[in-house]
Amino acid sequence: MDTAIDIALKFVAITVVFVVVLLVVAYTVLAERRVLGFIQGRLGPNRVGYGGILQPFADLLKFILKEDIVPDKSTRFIYFLAPVIATMAALMTMIVYPFGPDTRIPFTSITIPLVVARLDIGLLYVLGITSIGVYGIMLAGWSSNNKYSLMGGLRSSAQMISYELALGLSLIGAILLAGTLDLFQVVEQQSGWHGLRWLIIFQPLGFIIYMISAIAETNRVPFDLPEAETELVAGFHTEYSAMKFALFFLAEYINMFTVAMLATTLFLGGWNFPFLDAFIERGSFLFGLLSALAFLVKVVLILFFYIWLRGTLPRFRFDQLMNFGWKILLPLALINIFITATLIFLRVPGFS
Amino acid sequence: MLVLLFILFGGLAIGCALAVVAQRNPLYSAISLVGVFISLACLYVMLAAPFIAAVQVIVYAGAIMVLVVFVIMLLNVEEEERGRRRLKFLVPMAVAMAAILIAEVAFILVTVQEFRVNPPAGVGLTDSIGTSLFTRYLLPFEITSILLLMAIVGAMTLARRGGLLSTSARVIPGVTTLPRSLVDPRATPDDLRPVEADTTDEAARLLGVTGLRDHSERDE
Amino acid sequence: MEPQLSWYLALSAVLFTIGVTGVIIKRNVIAMFMCIELMLNAVNLTFVAFASFFQDVVGQLFVFIVMTVAAAEAAVGLGIIIAIFRNRESLDVDDASILKL
Repeated sequence: MDTAIDIALKFVAITVVFVVVLLVVAYTVLAERRVLGFIQGRLGPNRVGYGGILQPFADLLKFILKEDIVPDKSTRFIYFLAPVIATMAALMTMIVYPFGPDTRIPFTSITIPLVVARLDIGLLYVLGITSIGVYGIMLAGWSSNNKYSLMGGLRSSAQMISYELALGLSLIGAILLAGTLDLFQVVEQQSGWHGLRWLIIFQPLGFIIYMISAIAETNRVPFDLPEAETELVAGFHTEYSAMKFALFFLAEYINMFTVAMLATTLFLGGWNFPFLDAFIERGSFLFGLLSALAFLVKVVLILFFYIWLRGTLPRFRFDQLMNFGWKILLPLALINIFITATLIFLRVPGFS
Repeated sequence: MLVLLFILFGGLAIGCALAVVAQRNPLYSAISLVGVFISLACLYVMLAAPFIAAVQVIVYAGAIMVLVVFVIMLLNVEEEERGRRRLKFLVPMAVAMAAILIAEVAFILVTVQEFRVNPPAGVGLTDSIGTSLFTRYLLPFEITSILLLMAIVGAMTLARRGGLLSTSARVIPGVTTLPRSLVDPRATPDDLRPVEADTTDEAARLLGVTGLRDHSERDE
Repeated sequence: MEPQLSWYLALSAVLFTIGVTGVIIKRNVIAMFMCIELMLNAVNLTFVAFASFFQDVVGQLFVFIVMTVAAAEAAVGLGIIIAIFRNRESLDVDDASILKL
């Protein structure tokens, strides 16, 4: 009976996280179009609903009702499998991020941590699933039977696996400081100093390297040569239409959301709202709710930074991009690990 | 419950392994092999080895197989054709040996039953692996890093084209500097003055690479 | 009732045998390489099963080393395969059976 209740609770948690993620991602698409519009001196979509609030639903309706074109000579099975892999890998990482602390559910005495699954190896799990996401892009590029798609797919996946290394290495500094791979515990450790002991204070270089690698990992400007409209038609998803394209689109934005959540969890203190525990008791329902809101606000700020970058920077050429990833970011990440480890070894106060 | 999970992941592993062998298109084989790796990672989690499971997904499924799929796509590998049976008696022999294997496996599963199962005591966690790896088993760790260095040097040596540029080479003006001996036959090989060109056409002319931009020589 | 050690060993033996069958049957060099990786993984499963049932971490360390060796072998092996393909224009292992180019 106990296992049944546990499984039911997990299902409820997964459903809640799934719905929240999809809603946030849908509105991120709208926010990107509006903010890009403001940066470029125009209004974005603001007709559907008040100020464009219902735009994501209009887009969803369009994607569902569009005609689904399948290229004739493509490999059918892989053509259908690729968006599934991309979306699945993007969504599977959601379960390890802590949205809030141990919270007491109102009207009961159950205390649950606001995270779907507390894995011992949470961070390695995220890195592993991100590696699986590369397959979606490669198989999409190949199965479209189109040389532009193939080039775009190969370039995109080469870029992703190059920057995965810098991403992983830049996180090692934060893990050395936290002493654990469990993301829930990493955030709990950042609640010292009344919720201000964020790891970015101790790891500024790590944060910068992580943000740059994350932008390259998700194929965003300035690293979006493989899918820029002026370069390779639309890169690996040229031949996809309607719902399958919607899945790729969704997978890209969920990936953005994932790396923003990882940055928030590891560097910006996760759900810690500074000085909140001076007013509200920890562990109560209100504390949990406000902490989850604080988490969301931090993630939205990072997403806004992404969108801001998209409207501002030009894009890298592909060889400049690979040069930067291998010859500049990777050595910098290694130096960061070295410095962090040395500071921890010398017991510099603060780096415990 | 655990038995069900074992049957699920084990069946998935065996099914994907059979697909690896039975498929004729190497790309489908590669995807099935990724399936094998992921089901093995789930089995490792069941065996209380979460770190090894994560490393399996990151290294095998996420890096090695990506490399293999890259190579398959770049070399544009075709499907295997049937035919050219080498030795006719191989198939009945294979069936007989498979029957022997299955008999042995069934024998093991039926007779060897009672094994004392200890509850896992934190052996597979990152902490204990890291401690052992950096204290008692440091020598294999360092030798492995030298092995990886050898592999990197080897792969780079194998992949180097070397020699003159082919006719389909593209020169990016201002970025690529070529050794002067490619262009000037009287220069010594260690003359490091760069050959400079402002456009791709001029660079192509200097290199003597014709046919690169045919359409610019027509009169229309 | 929990999965016994013998079950894991049997599964590993079956996977290893399927790998051996693949190496013998397949003619494509890359497919043979993938079956070799399958064999290595079957052995990894044996190591991890023993490490779990005997509470010794050495099994998992060995798996770590085997994975590293497999990664190194993959890099160099695929480099060799590409170099052979450039010379012979065919990935059939029967065409590469003599040393003459």
